[in-house]
Amino acid sequence: MRNVAVDAPLTAASQGLASCHLCLKLAAANQQRCPRCGAALHLRKSNSLERTLALLLTACVLYIPANVLPIMVTDQFGQPTPSTIIGGVVLLIDMGSVAIAAVIFFASVMIPVSKLAMMFYLCWSVRKGPAETVRQRTVLYRITEFIGKWSMIDVFVVAILVALINLSNLLVIRPGAAAMAFAGVVIVSMLAAESFDPRLMWDQREKSDE
Amino acid sequence: MNLEGFLACPSCDVLFDISTLEDGESAHCSRCGHFLSTYRADATQRVIAYTSSALMLLALACSYPFMSFKASGLESVMTLPQTALNLWHYGMPGLAFLVAAFIIFIPALVLVLMLALNVALLFERDCDWLRPVGRLIYWLQNWSMVEVFFIGVLVSLVKIGHMATVIMGLSFWAYALFSLFFVLSLAGLDRAQYWQRIEALQS
Repeated sequence: MRNVAVDAPLTAASQGLASCHLCLKLAAANQQRCPRCGAALHLRKSNSLERTLALLLTACVLYIPANVLPIMVTDQFGQPTPSTIIGGVVLLIDMGSVAIAAVIFFASVMIPVSKLAMMFYLCWSVRKGPAETVRQRTVLYRITEFIGKWSMIDVFVVAILVALINLSNLLVIRPGAAAMAFAGVVIVSMLAAESFDPRLMWDQREKSDE
Repeated sequence: MNLEGFLACPSCDVLFDISTLEDGESAHCSRCGHFLSTYRADATQRVIAYTSSALMLLALACSYPFMSFKASGLESVMTLPQTALNLWHYGMPGLAFLVAAFIIFIPALVLVLMLALNVALLFERDCDWLRPVGRLIYWLQNWSMVEVFFIGVLVSLVKIGHMATVIMGLSFWAYALFSLFFVLSLAGLDRAQYWQRIEALQS
Protein backbone atom coordinates (compact mmCIF):
# COMPACT_ATOMS: atom_id res chain seq x y z
CA MET A 1 0.00 0.00 0.00
CA ARG A 2 2.82 2.42 0.81
CA ASN A 3 4.37 1.96 -2.63
CA VAL A 4 1.11 2.48 -4.47
CA ALA A 5 0.70 5.93 -2.93
CA VAL A 6 2.92 7.75 -5.44
CA ASP A 7 1.14 6.67 -8.64
CA ALA A 8 -2.43 6.57 -7.40
CA PRO A 9 -2.54 8.47 -4.10
CA LEU A 10 -5.06 7.06 -1.70
CA THR A 11 -6.23 10.00 0.40
CA ALA A 12 -7.99 9.84 3.74
CA ALA A 13 -10.87 11.93 2.36
CA SER A 14 -11.41 9.53 -0.54
CA GLN A 15 -11.93 6.75 2.04
CA GLY A 16 -14.42 8.82 4.03
CA LEU A 17 -11.83 9.38 6.77
CA ALA A 18 -10.93 12.58 8.59
CA SER A 19 -7.46 13.03 10.08
CA CYS A 20 -7.59 14.66 13.52
CA HIS A 21 -5.67 17.95 13.32
CA LEU A 22 -4.36 17.47 16.83
CA CYS A 23 -3.45 13.78 17.25
CA LEU A 24 -3.48 12.58 13.60
CA LYS A 25 -6.00 9.83 14.38
CA LEU A 26 -7.98 8.58 11.37
CA ALA A 27 -11.69 8.40 12.08
CA ALA A 28 -14.95 8.23 10.14
CA ALA A 29 -15.53 11.78 8.85
CA ASN A 30 -19.14 11.97 10.12
CA GLN A 31 -18.04 12.07 13.78
CA GLN A 32 -18.10 15.34 15.74
CA ARG A 33 -15.11 14.62 18.00
CA CYS A 34 -11.92 12.64 17.61
CA PRO A 35 -12.43 9.26 19.33
CA ARG A 36 -8.79 9.25 20.50
CA CYS A 37 -8.03 12.75 21.84
CA GLY A 38 -11.47 14.39 21.96
CA ALA A 39 -10.61 17.41 19.77
CA ALA A 40 -13.19 18.66 17.23
CA LEU A 41 -12.99 16.55 14.06
CA HIS A 42 -13.18 18.06 10.57
CA LEU A 43 -12.47 16.67 7.12
CA ARG A 44 -10.77 20.01 6.31
CA LYS A 45 -10.18 23.02 8.56
CA SER A 46 -13.53 24.82 8.65
CA ASN A 47 -13.93 28.06 6.61
CA SER A 48 -10.19 27.90 6.06
CA LEU A 49 -9.91 30.48 3.26
CA GLU A 50 -12.33 33.00 4.77
CA ARG A 51 -10.62 32.85 8.16
CA THR A 52 -7.13 33.05 6.70
CA LEU A 53 -8.01 36.06 4.53
CA ALA A 54 -9.75 37.87 7.40
CA LEU A 55 -6.70 37.36 9.64
CA LEU A 56 -4.31 38.42 6.86
CA LEU A 57 -6.23 41.67 6.35
CA THR A 58 -6.13 42.30 10.11
CA ALA A 59 -2.36 41.78 10.04
CA CYS A 60 -2.02 44.28 7.17
CA VAL A 61 -4.02 46.90 9.08
CA LEU A 62 -1.92 46.39 12.24
CA TYR A 63 1.23 46.64 10.15
CA ILE A 64 0.56 50.37 9.56
CA PRO A 65 0.80 51.54 13.22
CA ALA A 66 3.65 49.05 13.70
CA ASN A 67 5.71 51.04 11.19
CA VAL A 68 4.42 54.59 11.72
CA LEU A 69 4.55 54.72 15.53
CA PRO A 70 7.85 54.58 17.46
CA ILE A 71 8.90 51.09 18.55
CA MET A 72 11.10 52.53 21.31
CA VAL A 73 12.11 55.86 22.82
CA THR A 74 15.70 56.54 23.86
CA ASP A 75 16.06 59.08 26.70
CA GLN A 76 19.63 60.39 26.65
CA PHE A 77 20.37 63.07 29.29
CA GLY A 78 16.60 63.54 29.61
CA GLN A 79 16.12 64.15 25.88
CA PRO A 80 13.67 61.67 24.33
CA THR A 81 14.39 60.37 20.81
CA PRO A 82 11.61 58.17 19.40
CA SER A 83 12.63 55.64 16.73
CA THR A 84 10.55 53.61 14.31
CA ILE A 85 11.56 50.24 12.83
CA ILE A 86 12.77 51.84 9.58
CA GLY A 87 14.33 54.72 11.56
CA GLY A 88 16.47 52.23 13.48
CA VAL A 89 17.73 50.72 10.23
CA VAL A 90 18.57 54.17 8.79
CA LEU A 91 20.39 55.08 12.02
CA LEU A 92 22.53 51.92 11.80
CA ILE A 93 23.47 52.72 8.18
CA ASP A 94 24.43 56.28 9.21
CA MET A 95 26.65 54.86 11.95
CA GLY A 96 28.38 52.65 9.39
CA SER A 97 27.01 49.26 10.58
CA VAL A 98 25.64 48.31 7.16
CA ALA A 99 25.80 44.55 7.85
CA ILE A 100 23.74 44.80 11.06
CA ALA A 101 21.33 47.19 9.33
CA ALA A 102 20.85 44.64 6.55
CA VAL A 103 20.13 41.84 9.05
CA ILE A 104 17.59 43.98 10.94
CA PHE A 105 15.97 45.19 7.70
CA PHE A 106 15.68 41.60 6.50
CA ALA A 107 14.21 40.30 9.79
CA SER A 108 11.84 43.19 10.60
CA VAL A 109 10.68 44.36 7.17
CA MET A 110 11.38 41.77 4.46
CA ILE A 111 10.23 38.65 6.38
CA PRO A 112 6.89 40.00 7.70
CA VAL A 113 5.98 41.61 4.35
CA SER A 114 6.93 38.60 2.23
CA LYS A 115 5.16 36.27 4.68
CA LEU A 116 1.90 38.20 4.21
CA ALA A 117 2.40 38.31 0.43
CA MET A 118 3.09 34.54 0.35
CA MET A 119 -0.06 33.78 2.36
CA PHE A 120 -2.20 35.95 0.04
CA TYR A 121 -0.72 34.14 -2.95
CA LEU A 122 -1.43 30.73 -1.37
CA CYS A 123 -5.08 31.67 -0.71
CA TRP A 124 -5.46 32.85 -4.30
CA SER A 125 -3.71 29.72 -5.62
CA VAL A 126 -6.18 27.30 -3.98
CA ARG A 127 -8.71 28.05 -6.75
CA LYS A 128 -6.58 29.51 -9.56
CA GLY A 129 -3.06 28.15 -9.07
CA PRO A 130 -1.38 25.93 -11.69
CA ALA A 131 -1.80 22.24 -10.72
CA GLU A 132 1.83 21.33 -11.48
CA THR A 133 3.19 23.69 -8.77
CA VAL A 134 1.14 22.24 -5.91
CA ARG A 135 4.17 20.53 -4.32
CA GLN A 136 6.21 23.76 -4.39
CA ARG A 137 3.23 25.65 -2.95
CA THR A 138 3.00 23.15 -0.11
CA VAL A 139 6.68 23.75 0.66
CA LEU A 140 6.02 27.52 0.51
CA TYR A 141 3.25 27.06 3.07
CA ARG A 142 5.56 25.07 5.37
CA ILE A 143 8.10 27.93 5.14
CA THR A 144 5.53 30.60 6.08
CA GLU A 145 4.39 28.41 8.96
CA PHE A 146 7.96 27.91 10.16
CA ILE A 147 9.11 31.56 10.03
CA GLY A 148 5.93 32.85 11.71
CA LYS A 149 7.17 33.12 15.28
CA TRP A 150 10.66 34.34 14.30
CA SER A 151 9.31 37.83 13.52
CA MET A 152 8.76 38.21 17.28
CA ILE A 153 12.54 38.84 17.59
CA ASP A 154 11.97 42.60 17.25
CA VAL A 155 9.52 42.68 20.12
CA PHE A 156 11.92 40.68 22.30
CA VAL A 157 14.81 43.00 21.41
CA VAL A 158 12.73 45.96 22.62
CA ALA A 159 11.81 44.09 25.84
CA ILE A 160 15.48 43.24 26.47
CA LEU A 161 16.81 46.76 25.76
CA VAL A 162 14.10 48.30 27.98
CA ALA A 163 15.03 45.96 30.84
CA LEU A 164 18.79 46.26 30.36
CA ILE A 165 19.40 49.93 29.60
CA ASN A 166 18.20 51.83 32.62
CA LEU A 167 20.91 54.27 33.80
CA SER A 168 18.69 56.73 35.75
CA ASN A 169 19.24 60.18 34.16
CA LEU A 170 21.96 59.24 31.72
CA LEU A 171 20.38 56.73 29.37
CA VAL A 172 16.97 55.06 29.55
CA ILE A 173 15.11 53.12 26.86
CA ARG A 174 11.30 53.02 27.00
CA PRO A 175 8.98 50.85 24.86
CA GLY A 176 6.87 52.50 22.12
CA ALA A 177 3.31 51.74 21.04
CA ALA A 178 4.52 50.11 17.81
CA ALA A 179 5.94 47.20 19.86
CA MET A 180 2.40 46.12 20.81
CA ALA A 181 1.15 46.61 17.22
CA PHE A 182 4.06 44.58 15.87
CA ALA A 183 3.39 41.77 18.37
CA GLY A 184 -0.19 41.88 17.09
CA VAL A 185 0.99 41.53 13.47
CA VAL A 186 3.07 38.47 14.39
CA ILE A 187 0.33 36.77 16.44
CA VAL A 188 -2.42 37.43 13.88
CA SER A 189 -0.28 36.21 10.97
CA MET A 190 0.63 33.06 12.96
CA LEU A 191 -3.10 32.45 13.43
CA ALA A 192 -3.61 33.03 9.68
CA ALA A 193 -0.99 30.39 8.83
CA GLU A 194 -2.61 28.02 11.33
CA SER A 195 -6.07 28.40 9.77
CA PHE A 196 -4.88 27.78 6.20
CA ASP A 197 -5.37 24.19 5.05
CA PRO A 198 -2.78 23.08 2.45
CA ARG A 199 -4.88 20.00 1.64
CA LEU A 200 -7.32 22.30 -0.19
CA MET A 201 -4.65 22.84 -2.86
CA TRP A 202 -4.28 19.08 -3.34
CA ASP A 203 -8.07 18.60 -3.40
CA GLN A 204 -8.26 21.13 -6.24
CA ARG A 205 -5.58 19.28 -8.21
CA GLU A 206 -7.36 15.94 -7.77
CA LYS A 207 -10.54 17.58 -9.06
CA SER A 208 -8.76 18.91 -12.14
CA ASP A 209 -7.19 15.46 -12.80
CA GLU A 210 -10.59 13.82 -13.09
CA MET B 1 -9.87 -1.81 6.29
CA ASN B 2 -7.72 -1.91 9.41
CA LEU B 3 -6.55 1.60 10.32
CA GLU B 4 -4.12 0.60 13.05
CA GLY B 5 -0.77 2.30 12.44
CA PHE B 6 -2.04 4.42 9.53
CA LEU B 7 -2.00 8.20 9.32
CA ALA B 8 -2.86 10.80 6.69
CA CYS B 9 -0.22 13.35 5.65
CA PRO B 10 -1.24 16.63 7.36
CA SER B 11 -0.24 18.59 4.23
CA CYS B 12 -1.81 16.56 1.43
CA ASP B 13 -3.98 13.83 3.02
CA VAL B 14 -2.31 10.74 1.48
CA LEU B 15 -2.52 7.63 3.68
CA PHE B 16 0.62 5.93 5.03
CA ASP B 17 1.38 2.98 7.29
CA ILE B 18 3.94 4.06 9.90
CA SER B 19 3.77 0.90 12.03
CA THR B 20 6.76 -0.64 10.22
CA LEU B 21 9.23 2.10 11.27
CA GLU B 22 12.36 0.73 12.97
CA ASP B 23 14.12 2.40 15.91
CA GLY B 24 15.59 5.74 14.75
CA GLU B 25 13.80 5.75 11.38
CA SER B 26 11.72 8.69 10.12
CA ALA B 27 8.90 8.72 7.57
CA HIS B 28 8.24 11.53 5.07
CA CYS B 29 5.28 11.88 2.71
CA SER B 30 6.13 10.53 -0.76
CA ARG B 31 3.83 13.02 -2.49
CA CYS B 32 4.56 16.38 -0.83
CA GLY B 33 7.67 15.61 1.26
CA HIS B 34 6.15 16.61 4.60
CA PHE B 35 7.60 15.01 7.74
CA LEU B 36 5.27 12.34 9.17
CA SER B 37 6.84 10.57 12.14
CA THR B 38 10.02 9.34 13.84
CA TYR B 39 10.08 6.19 15.94
CA ARG B 40 12.44 5.99 18.91
CA ALA B 41 12.21 3.09 21.31
CA ASP B 42 13.66 5.17 24.17
CA ALA B 43 11.68 8.38 23.50
CA THR B 44 10.09 8.44 26.98
CA GLN B 45 13.38 8.20 28.87
CA ARG B 46 14.96 10.84 26.63
CA VAL B 47 12.08 13.28 27.04
CA ILE B 48 12.02 12.81 30.84
CA ALA B 49 15.76 13.58 30.96
CA TYR B 50 15.44 16.65 28.69
CA THR B 51 12.35 18.11 30.36
CA SER B 52 13.66 17.74 33.92
CA SER B 53 16.98 19.34 32.92
CA ALA B 54 15.14 22.16 31.15
CA LEU B 55 12.92 22.86 34.18
CA MET B 56 15.92 23.11 36.54
CA LEU B 57 17.74 25.41 34.10
CA LEU B 58 14.67 27.64 33.77
CA ALA B 59 14.49 27.97 37.57
CA LEU B 60 18.17 29.00 37.57
CA ALA B 61 17.60 31.42 34.68
CA CYS B 62 14.82 33.19 36.57
CA SER B 63 16.77 33.64 39.81
CA TYR B 64 20.13 35.13 38.79
CA PRO B 65 21.18 38.27 36.85
CA PHE B 66 20.82 37.82 33.10
CA MET B 67 23.01 40.62 31.77
CA SER B 68 24.49 43.84 33.06
CA PHE B 69 25.23 47.03 31.17
CA LYS B 70 28.03 49.47 32.11
CA ALA B 71 28.52 52.99 30.78
CA SER B 72 30.17 56.10 32.23
CA GLY B 73 30.70 54.48 35.59
CA LEU B 74 27.03 53.54 35.96
CA GLU B 75 25.71 50.00 35.86
CA SER B 76 22.26 48.50 35.31
CA VAL B 77 21.51 44.82 35.88
CA MET B 78 18.66 42.95 34.24
CA THR B 79 17.02 39.69 35.24
CA LEU B 80 14.86 37.49 33.03
CA PRO B 81 11.50 38.36 34.66
CA GLN B 82 12.39 42.06 34.25
CA THR B 83 12.07 41.80 30.46
CA ALA B 84 8.33 41.52 31.12
CA LEU B 85 8.07 43.50 34.39
CA ASN B 86 9.70 46.66 32.98
CA LEU B 87 7.21 46.73 30.09
CA TRP B 88 4.50 46.67 32.76
CA HIS B 89 6.10 49.60 34.61
CA TYR B 90 6.16 51.64 31.40
CA GLY B 91 2.40 51.18 30.99
CA MET B 92 2.24 48.24 28.56
CA PRO B 93 0.66 45.43 30.62
CA GLY B 94 -0.60 43.64 27.49
CA LEU B 95 2.85 43.36 25.97
CA ALA B 96 4.35 42.44 29.36
CA PHE B 97 1.85 39.60 29.65
CA LEU B 98 2.62 38.33 26.13
CA VAL B 99 6.40 38.40 26.62
CA ALA B 100 6.14 36.61 29.99
CA ALA B 101 3.82 34.00 28.48
CA PHE B 102 5.98 33.33 25.39
CA ILE B 103 9.33 33.02 27.14
CA ILE B 104 8.53 31.75 30.67
CA PHE B 105 4.97 30.62 31.43
CA ILE B 106 4.00 28.68 28.29
CA PRO B 107 7.39 26.87 28.08
CA ALA B 108 7.25 26.05 31.81
CA LEU B 109 3.69 24.73 31.55
CA VAL B 110 4.52 22.66 28.45
CA LEU B 111 7.55 21.15 30.26
CA VAL B 112 5.59 20.25 33.41
CA LEU B 113 2.80 18.66 31.34
CA MET B 114 5.32 16.78 29.17
CA LEU B 115 7.07 15.46 32.27
CA ALA B 116 3.76 14.28 33.77
CA LEU B 117 2.68 12.63 30.50
CA ASN B 118 6.01 10.83 30.08
CA VAL B 119 6.15 9.62 33.67
CA ALA B 120 2.64 8.16 33.22
CA LEU B 121 3.74 6.47 29.99
CA LEU B 122 6.94 5.16 31.60
CA PHE B 123 4.99 3.43 34.38
CA GLU B 124 2.16 2.53 31.96
CA ARG B 125 -0.41 4.23 34.17
CA ASP B 126 -3.71 4.98 32.50
CA CYS B 127 -5.05 8.23 33.97
CA ASP B 128 -8.10 10.31 33.08
CA TRP B 129 -6.00 13.42 32.54
CA LEU B 130 -3.79 11.95 29.81
CA ARG B 131 -5.99 13.03 26.90
CA PRO B 132 -6.67 16.64 27.97
CA VAL B 133 -2.99 17.06 28.93
CA GLY B 134 -1.89 15.66 25.57
CA ARG B 135 -4.22 18.05 23.74
CA LEU B 136 -2.94 21.01 25.75
CA ILE B 137 0.72 20.15 25.05
CA TYR B 138 0.28 19.91 21.29
CA TRP B 139 -1.88 23.04 21.23
CA LEU B 140 0.49 25.14 23.37
CA GLN B 141 3.79 24.10 21.81
CA ASN B 142 3.34 26.45 18.81
CA TRP B 143 3.17 29.37 21.21
CA SER B 144 6.42 28.97 23.10
CA MET B 145 9.17 31.22 21.76
CA VAL B 146 12.19 30.17 23.81
CA GLU B 147 14.59 29.86 20.87
CA VAL B 148 13.27 33.08 19.27
CA PHE B 149 13.94 34.98 22.51
CA PHE B 150 17.44 33.61 22.69
CA ILE B 151 18.23 34.83 19.18
CA GLY B 152 16.66 38.16 20.25
CA VAL B 153 19.21 38.33 23.09
CA LEU B 154 22.04 37.83 20.60
CA VAL B 155 20.62 40.53 18.30
CA SER B 156 20.41 42.98 21.23
CA LEU B 157 24.04 42.24 22.10
CA VAL B 158 25.06 43.10 18.54
CA LYS B 159 22.99 46.30 18.65
CA ILE B 160 24.43 47.68 21.89
CA GLY B 161 27.81 45.95 21.97
CA HIS B 162 29.59 49.03 20.60
CA MET B 163 27.88 51.45 23.01
CA ALA B 164 29.08 50.03 26.29
CA THR B 165 30.31 46.98 28.13
CA VAL B 166 27.74 44.20 28.43
CA ILE B 167 28.44 41.38 30.88
CA MET B 168 26.58 38.08 30.70
CA GLY B 169 25.36 36.68 34.01
CA LEU B 170 24.78 33.10 35.17
CA SER B 171 21.17 33.31 34.05
CA PHE B 172 22.21 33.98 30.44
CA TRP B 173 24.11 30.68 30.22
CA ALA B 174 21.32 28.84 32.04
CA TYR B 175 18.79 30.19 29.53
CA ALA B 176 21.02 29.22 26.59
CA LEU B 177 21.15 25.61 27.85
CA PHE B 178 17.45 25.74 28.71
CA SER B 179 16.65 26.68 25.06
CA LEU B 180 18.69 23.72 23.86
CA PHE B 181 16.97 21.20 26.17
CA PHE B 182 13.56 22.69 25.45
CA VAL B 183 14.01 22.23 21.69
CA LEU B 184 15.28 18.67 22.27
CA SER B 185 12.26 17.86 24.49
CA LEU B 186 9.78 19.02 21.85
CA ALA B 187 11.67 17.19 19.10
CA GLY B 188 11.41 13.97 21.13
CA LEU B 189 7.64 14.23 21.48
CA ASP B 190 6.58 12.74 18.15
CA ARG B 191 2.88 13.46 17.67
CA ALA B 192 1.79 10.23 15.94
CA GLN B 193 3.88 7.92 18.15
CA TYR B 194 2.81 9.51 21.44
CA TRP B 195 -0.89 9.45 20.65
CA GLN B 196 -0.66 5.79 19.60
CA ARG B 197 0.93 5.02 22.96
CA ILE B 198 -1.69 6.99 24.91
CA GLU B 199 -4.39 5.10 23.01
CA ALA B 200 -2.69 1.75 23.68
CA LEU B 201 -2.70 2.47 27.44
CA GLN B 202 -6.40 3.14 27.45
CA SER B 203 -7.56 0.08 25.54
